[in-house]
Amino acid sequence: MRHRILLVEDHEDNRRIIRDLLANAGYELIEAVTGEDGVQLAETQQPDLILMDIQLPGIDGYEVTRRLRRNRALAGTPIIAVTSYALSGDDAKALAAGCDAYIAKPFSPRVLLAKVREYLPPS
Amino acid sequence: MKDRLVRLIARVPAGVHAKLLAAFLMIAVLLIILGAVGLQALIEVNRHAEELVKLQRKIAAYRQLQHDTTGQLYTVTSALLVPDERTLEATLRQLNQFGYDLDRLQFVSRDELELFGRARADYERFIEVVTRVVELLRTGRVADGRELQLTQAGPLADRLERLTNELVNKAEADMVTSVESAHAAYVTSRWIVVGFAIGSIGLALVLGYAISWSLIGPVEQMNARLARIAAGEFAGRVEVPNRDELGTLAANLNHMSEELGRLYQQLETASRHKSQFLANMSHELRTPLNAILGYAELVQDGVYGEVPEKIRDILARVQASGRHLLGLINDVLDLSRIEAGQLTLTLADYSLREIVHAVFTATEPLATEKALMLTVALPPTLPPGRGDERRLMQVLLNLVGNAIKFTEAGEVRIDAAARDGRFEVAVTDTGPGIPPAEQQRIFEEFHQADSSSTKSKGGAGLGLAIARRIVELHGGRIGVESRLGEGSTFSVTIPIRAECVLEAP
Repeated sequence: MRHRILLVEDHEDNRRIIRDLLANAGYELIEAVTGEDGVQLAETQQPDLILMDIQLPGIDGYEVTRRLRRNRALAGTPIIAVTSYALSGDDAKALAAGCDAYIAKPFSPRVLLAKVREYLPPS
Repeated sequence: MKDRLVRLIARVPAGVHAKLLAAFLMIAVLLIILGAVGLQALIEVNRHAEELVKLQRKIAAYRQLQHDTTGQLYTVTSALLVPDERTLEATLRQLNQFGYDLDRLQFVSRDELELFGRARADYERFIEVVTRVVELLRTGRVADGRELQLTQAGPLADRLERLTNELVNKAEADMVTSVESAHAAYVTSRWIVVGFAIGSIGLALVLGYAISWSLIGPVEQMNARLARIAAGEFAGRVEVPNRDELGTLAANLNHMSEELGRLYQQLETASRHKSQFLANMSHELRTPLNAILGYAELVQDGVYGEVPEKIRDILARVQASGRHLLGLINDVLDLSRIEAGQLTLTLADYSLREIVHAVFTATEPLATEKALMLTVALPPTLPPGRGDERRLMQVLLNLVGNAIKFTEAGEVRIDAAARDGRFEVAVTDTGPGIPPAEQQRIFEEFHQADSSSTKSKGGAGLGLAIARRIVELHGGRIGVESRLGEGSTFSVTIPIRAECVLEAP
């Protein structure tokens, strides 16, 4: 069975790159553009891993992470934060909010894929 | 009281020039008055002296009159005893002399006109009597002459003597009075002159004090204000009561201060906006650039299908240029955030050894590409440091990257040591070296040593400026030692435990 990854990302190109990358690597991807959608999709779809952009319109990645962590079904789902280079201290805040790991923007698709594979080894 | 006078002078609505002129004129007028008063006193004293001389002459004349009267009586008496022609002649001559004395006295004395008139009348009668006595003697009537002499001339002479005595006494009394009044006049004029002198000096001092302080006070105030302006304090005004040039100067100073303050605020706002704009813009630039780099990598990795070798090569160049552009944008972003005061350190424990190794790993391929030796010299143990690991790595990456970039042959060495509570990290190269004049300026923004030769190397010249700010935020120092043609050593010294985050200068 293919691993299912939820991507919460508002930027079109970033979604496309990650979609193409992960689809090519054999993962199933579901996408959310806003934090609220992200929470809803996570709860209904129960993904195996969540890629969480921090800077989102509306509620931000930290808040989304905190909400997901409150859901017992999602408490153990790995969440990888995609933090912005521009705001120092994001990485620490992401971990504090409940993320398992973080990747700093600008990210290289190769590095992202490697990080995803750490949590979801290819079957 | 004094201050009130100073303020009063300051408030006079006239120029400094006019005030000084008025003060000098006042003093000059006082001096002229003093001279006039002195002259008046001198004239008075002189008048008294002349009067004394006159009195003395009068007294002498009266004495002469007295003497003459006595002489007259004597000669007439002699003529009575020896009535020859010579004696009679002498008697008449003496009578004339007597008359002459009286005439002279008429000009000398004016005060005693009444007394003098009586003397004159008595004298004329005396002359008359003596002339008759002489006539009697000439005609040989000696007995009649003696009779006349005894009955009339003698008493007349006595009366004349009394009168002249009276005149002398009166004149002497006048003289005493005159001497006394002369002394009194002298004392009075002395006090007037001394008073005027003291008054002039006093006025000159008071005017000098008031005018000079009405000038010095505002100058000192304005000087203090200027010093505060120079120190960057634009709020506040200097208040002087002057309505002269200094008042205008103070008003202009206040105006200038306000304008400077306004300009300073505008500049600050503009600078903040610029930094904010740069931060925003570089952030905005990064988003599409990230997409470009991401897509390029996906294409290169064959995500969109098999890629011919030639295109793969071109994609590598697209990526290299994109990363270069990203580096430049990141530099601008870093610097603008430092300038906007937004860059703060994230303090955590770090291992200097790990940082050095990470930098070595990242830069070794570049060194190998240029056939340079890249070596690391570390002591066996290093204490754990505290600071912003990512930023410190950025500094070291920049230094090693520069060293490799500018060195054509030889080696680049990284030395690190802990000494006296500080980490000392040095990056030494065998590059072209940096001229002494450039060694400080390379740490400034947008500056590259010898732009012509380094232009080809790329970079916005921001790396060292950012490195300096980061090191300074850690409370450390960055410096360079270099000799042309021999190479350079960049050294960074930071506290091992950077506990407090320092404000960027």
